[in-house]
Amino acid sequence: MVIDMPSLLKPFRLLLLLVLAMLAAATHAQTSTYEARLPPELFSARDMCAYTDCASVLPGAVRFSERKGSPTFVEGFDSSDRLLGYVMLSSDITDIPAYSGKPIIKLIGMDANGNFTGIRILKHSEPILLLGIPETALNRFNDQYLGKHVGDRIEVGRTRAGEDVIGVDAISGATVTVIVQNQVIMQSGGAVARQTGILEPIVREQRAFVEMGHQPDWETLVTEGSVQSLIVQPEDVGLEPGDTPFIELWFGYLNHPDVGLAVLGDIGWSRLMERIGDDQAIFIIRTAGAESFKGSGFVRGGLYDRIQVRQDVDVFNFYDLDYYNLFGVAAPGAPRFSESGIFVIRGDSFSAAYPWSLVFLGNRIDQATGQRSFANFSADYWLAADYLEGGRAVIKAPDAPWVRIWKVRAVEIGIFIALLIVVSIAYANRDRLTRASTRKNKWPVNAIKYSAWIVSIFFVGFYLMAQPSITQVLTWFHALLLDWRWELFLLDPFIFIFWIFIIVTVFLWGRGLFCGWLCPFGSLSELLYKIGGAIGLKRFQFKLSQRSHDKLKWLKYVVFGVLLAVSAFSLTTAEMLAEVEPFKTTFLVGMFNRAWPYTLFAAGLLALSIFMERPFCKYLCPLGAALAMPTTFRWFGLKRKQECTSCKACAVGCGSLAIDEKGRIDARECMLCLDCMVLYTDDHACPPLAQERKRREKVGLPLTPIGKDGYYIPIKPVPAAGATN
Amino acid sequence: MIMSDTKMTDPTMPTDPMAPPYAEKGFFAVFAAEVWDHLWPWSRHGFRRQTAIQAAGVALALAATLIWIYAAMGRMEAGAIVGWWFGWSVFEVVVRLGSKPYVKEGPWWGRRYRRANLMDMICYVGFKNLLIGAVLFIALKSQGILVL
Repeated sequence: MVIDMPSLLKPFRLLLLLVLAMLAAATHAQTSTYEARLPPELFSARDMCAYTDCASVLPGAVRFSERKGSPTFVEGFDSSDRLLGYVMLSSDITDIPAYSGKPIIKLIGMDANGNFTGIRILKHSEPILLLGIPETALNRFNDQYLGKHVGDRIEVGRTRAGEDVIGVDAISGATVTVIVQNQVIMQSGGAVARQTGILEPIVREQRAFVEMGHQPDWETLVTEGSVQSLIVQPEDVGLEPGDTPFIELWFGYLNHPDVGLAVLGDIGWSRLMERIGDDQAIFIIRTAGAESFKGSGFVRGGLYDRIQVRQDVDVFNFYDLDYYNLFGVAAPGAPRFSESGIFVIRGDSFSAAYPWSLVFLGNRIDQATGQRSFANFSADYWLAADYLEGGRAVIKAPDAPWVRIWKVRAVEIGIFIALLIVVSIAYANRDRLTRASTRKNKWPVNAIKYSAWIVSIFFVGFYLMAQPSITQVLTWFHALLLDWRWELFLLDPFIFIFWIFIIVTVFLWGRGLFCGWLCPFGSLSELLYKIGGAIGLKRFQFKLSQRSHDKLKWLKYVVFGVLLAVSAFSLTTAEMLAEVEPFKTTFLVGMFNRAWPYTLFAAGLLALSIFMERPFCKYLCPLGAALAMPTTFRWFGLKRKQECTSCKACAVGCGSLAIDEKGRIDARECMLCLDCMVLYTDDHACPPLAQERKRREKVGLPLTPIGKDGYYIPIKPVPAAGATN
Repeated sequence: MIMSDTKMTDPTMPTDPMAPPYAEKGFFAVFAAEVWDHLWPWSRHGFRRQTAIQAAGVALALAATLIWIYAAMGRMEAGAIVGWWFGWSVFEVVVRLGSKPYVKEGPWWGRRYRRANLMDMICYVGFKNLLIGAVLFIALKSQGILVL
């Protein structure tokens, strides 16, 4: 059935209402902790619990100590003043960024035995939690840790009893966010547990120093790496670029006699060593920039909240008691400085034989919105091997999170890659498949295509949740402009691999191989249409007239353009508007886990798909539009005969309405279903070919094979042997 | 500009075939001419037809160049550059439709060209300028002279 514009408006009116309802819901979606403004004292005041409800994560606690330890935490006591447990602010311990590129700030409670008692989000910047996934889902994720011990090996994914790994369920559609959260919770808990004796503290092997007996000058100290610099430019923190850095710090390790004597001089170093005993000392001097390394937290709580030393998972903060004055640098050639200090690291967790870094904890100001976000800058330090007996310690670096994910999911990754390769090979051999098919029996093509759909829907869509989305395109645009981090994209191996496949195949054959064969939602949509036809609903199935389609198809480009434009101003808003894609509702979160406008929208589109082939793909899909644009320049198109300009046989059967009145295929709209290619070599269905077949049969000529040009190979009369002119 | 144009519809192309004047030259000449085509949207033929647009186009091109120079000097923000990039791209589409209204069909190393309709030109200019913009952005950022 073909429907023209006026009658077409009827079903689309409903669709429009669905879109509007969904957008209205999206616009008003608010969460309590998204970009929440937290009091600055929370991050530095000794009395941390005066600025947040610590009891909410440590039930039963009525009194809390001041911040203590390094990294800091507070103790919680019950009404009889018995130690109940500990409360920590995640940002005091780690600043691992989540999917948004910013950390999620959590308040974490742990009892005196090391069992988690409560985890509360204070602030996050995750767009996915703003709209797509309710914040309660992250709270439920956090609740999985309650009662679990900090010493357990907890990972996102399946429990692996043989490896003593306790699995926690991920949040569909927010895998990266929860993987990072797991790291934050376990690192925070571990850092406090090691300080309080719940876990054995990390004791790093101390190595004796090798004394060279020389006193290097400043330039030598810098050259050999005994003094390092950390320079932060104004633009790094969102300020206008200037002639001087925001802050320029020089720092080094003072315990080694050669370095210590060079920096402090004989008397200064001897006195320092007498005072600090076995503790470790570093010095910091500021040589440029108006900003102090003390920070405002120093005034409020005696905490130097702008500097930290980190060694692997250990974080060392400094209070006023850890500070000694540094009045001058003895090394010849040392620069003039405007601020200085010697900071002491206590305990035996720190070892100069291992690498460490000085971290400057800053804030980046977004000039457009005025919003501040954490921006930390670090410089690495590792005492030269010559200064250590036995050289530097051997480090076995743990796998990066993305490497772990790739290893854990290696089998699924293998299957997924195999799927992509099989489909690509099948499509590359489309000529064989279409020749083996006829208009009445398309199974050689359809068996592969339908199998791809089924695997795509259930394995790729529902199981792997690897549904590509326009939000990824927008994220890439922004990452390209702002901060490209491969590890962020590698955290989801399936999406990463899928996009490589998409980019390659779009330029080879156009968007049709992905959209028409492997997009989970597109496959589900067309499968519903096929099932609808098979169960007797064919008479209700319809497609728009070519004229109407040619007008409506531009809508998806408008949707894409609007999203792209909005993303230039606000990626968050663009991600909200990207709910026009029903992918999240269908595959990632689930129809029944979302607010009714989203469910209604996705269900409405799928219901419409039973009666109309791929309505979303044809008219709304912004991802399809984004891929259609480079499809203009795909290398290999479908075949055509000259007769196609007047023959309408393929055009009539084209479900994508991609063949115009002159028989030309619009690659941007084509889903590469190959129906027209089946006809191309079917000598009972392709009119010019059928005509030639009949002619040959009539005159008794043999039916030669059909050539690449779609015609019978011409019969060339061969002169009889011995014939002469 | 000399262009060949066929009367018979070629169903293997979404629009009618249309060859640029250099289509029949040798490999290196065509390669050089295509590079020039990508970077220079104007043609003498177009100038005669669209004098006002072309004149404004030259002015806009100078302005766009100036923006990139400012950016290279660290005196321009990302938003402004994106804005200019977009504005220039829109203008380039209009200019090209009048002066070089063709795109390549099929393999990029091939020599099949066809008439560009509006959408073809939007796709071409958008894609080309995205690549050029990305290269310039990355280059300026790697030099640390672009404010982001």
